[in-house]
Amino acid sequence: MNEPAIDIVGVEKAYRFFHLSNISLRLEPGQIMGFVGPNGAGKSTTIRILMGMIRPDRGDVRVLGHQVPRDQAIAKREVGYVSDDMRLYGSQTLAWHMDWVAPIYPGWDAAYATALLKRFHLHPAQTIKALSHGERVKATLLLVLARRPRLLLLDEPTTGLDPVARHEILAELMDVVRDERRAILFSSHNTQDVEQISDVITFLDRGRILESSDTATFIDRWRRVHLDVPAQVTLPDAAGVTETQRNGRVAVVTTSAYTPDLDSVYTQAGATVQDVQRMTLEEIFVATVMHNRREVAS
Amino acid sequence: MNRSIVRHLILKDLHLMRWMSRSALVGGLVAVGLMSVSPLPIAGGGVLLVCALVVLNIFLVMHGVVQERKDQVAVFVLSLPVSTTQYVAAKVVANLIAFSVPWLVLTAATLVMIDVSQMPNGFLPFWTAVLGYLFFYYCVLLGVGLMTTSSGWHATAIIAGNISVNFLIMALFASPSVQAYGAGDTAVWTTGMAALVVAEIVGGIAVLAAVVMTHSRRREFV
Repeated sequence: MNEPAIDIVGVEKAYRFFHLSNISLRLEPGQIMGFVGPNGAGKSTTIRILMGMIRPDRGDVRVLGHQVPRDQAIAKREVGYVSDDMRLYGSQTLAWHMDWVAPIYPGWDAAYATALLKRFHLHPAQTIKALSHGERVKATLLLVLARRPRLLLLDEPTTGLDPVARHEILAELMDVVRDERRAILFSSHNTQDVEQISDVITFLDRGRILESSDTATFIDRWRRVHLDVPAQVTLPDAAGVTETQRNGRVAVVTTSAYTPDLDSVYTQAGATVQDVQRMTLEEIFVATVMHNRREVAS
Repeated sequence: MNRSIVRHLILKDLHLMRWMSRSALVGGLVAVGLMSVSPLPIAGGGVLLVCALVVLNIFLVMHGVVQERKDQVAVFVLSLPVSTTQYVAAKVVANLIAFSVPWLVLTAATLVMIDVSQMPNGFLPFWTAVLGYLFFYYCVLLGVGLMTTSSGWHATAIIAGNISVNFLIMALFASPSVQAYGAGDTAVWTTGMAALVVAEIVGGIAVLAAVVMTHSRRREFV
């Protein structure tokens, strides 16, 4: 029971115009991992590999201790998967779906399903095609959460939802991980959602993992340092600096490894530190991706 | 557990496809009734019977297989504790049942109708071969539906299948076997005609077996 919820090592998958390169990830029970990347970064491909829907060309994939894709059917007994493009049977009602899914899972929690119906304001007699996008996502989530899965794989579940629906869904997910045996991998390009609920963050771009660490430490490392730099002063190289923008005397340095020592380095060089700003996850995400792309290009 | 889930998937598909099977059965039985009032081997009733089974074929595959994948409902089903091979196997079995039950009933009704009506019994092998070909056509279209989500391939398979039914009927009419024994009072099964019917059934099942085997080796499904 103490095995990692997700343990993938060296996974590769090549397509004609896209290559998922050397992906290694580990998610422990009780954790929520925010899986952040721009469109086409490889988030959905990675999650579908975890679900056994896509076979990797190389690498080892273990989900709740089971080898995937070989033992995908066993692993999926305790995995709940929701993606924004997933659809239910449009001509059938939500009640029909609940009746159909419930017997598959011995752990189906009918009382919780009823509670979720109320919480999400869903009507079981309504056909799926009559539901709005937000209601459809909630209906899918209900069908997944009521199974009480040990691992939730959520691929952009909040895309296209209004703020209230997003809040309802994120609150429900926070509830799920109160049980420390459960884990969530939450993919999104909405960094606000990810920042709100994740305790581990992984950045993905163009099929490669750029960064993976715990959210608080990660965000704490990043700063934007505003400097006044006289014309004759050259800013020294410092570890962790991902970007320096200079316009006349004004310079803005973005760093992924901020310590107060950095202020001293610039002061000793003749610059004046005017402001040190914390960065939002979105700013960090953009800075990481752009820095990585510049490095790859050079 | 997995066997019971596969059964669960099959029952779900049969539930979703039941109106198509029932409609084709009703339409087909009306067609067989119409066939009984004409001494001609193929007239309005016969055409209607072929149409009922061709429409059932296309509806089952396009609605039950292709649409499910295009609409991404297959992603939901594959999120359940089932492998892609089990999903495909369940699809094949459910679709075979949904088509084969009305097809078997209509084939039996047609053969009984020929035996008891004024239509010569010599046409029994002819109709068996035509109906057998519709089974083969169904298996091929189901295979194409499972192998690709390309609308182009589906349209090609449907057009080729529909045209081939017409060519088969013309070829059978022109065959020495039907020419020699079609108008007779007793059904004469020549080796060629018997082999054709066996090839249609075995060929259809072989196509589906190949599809399931191919899927078990595919690197991705959705």
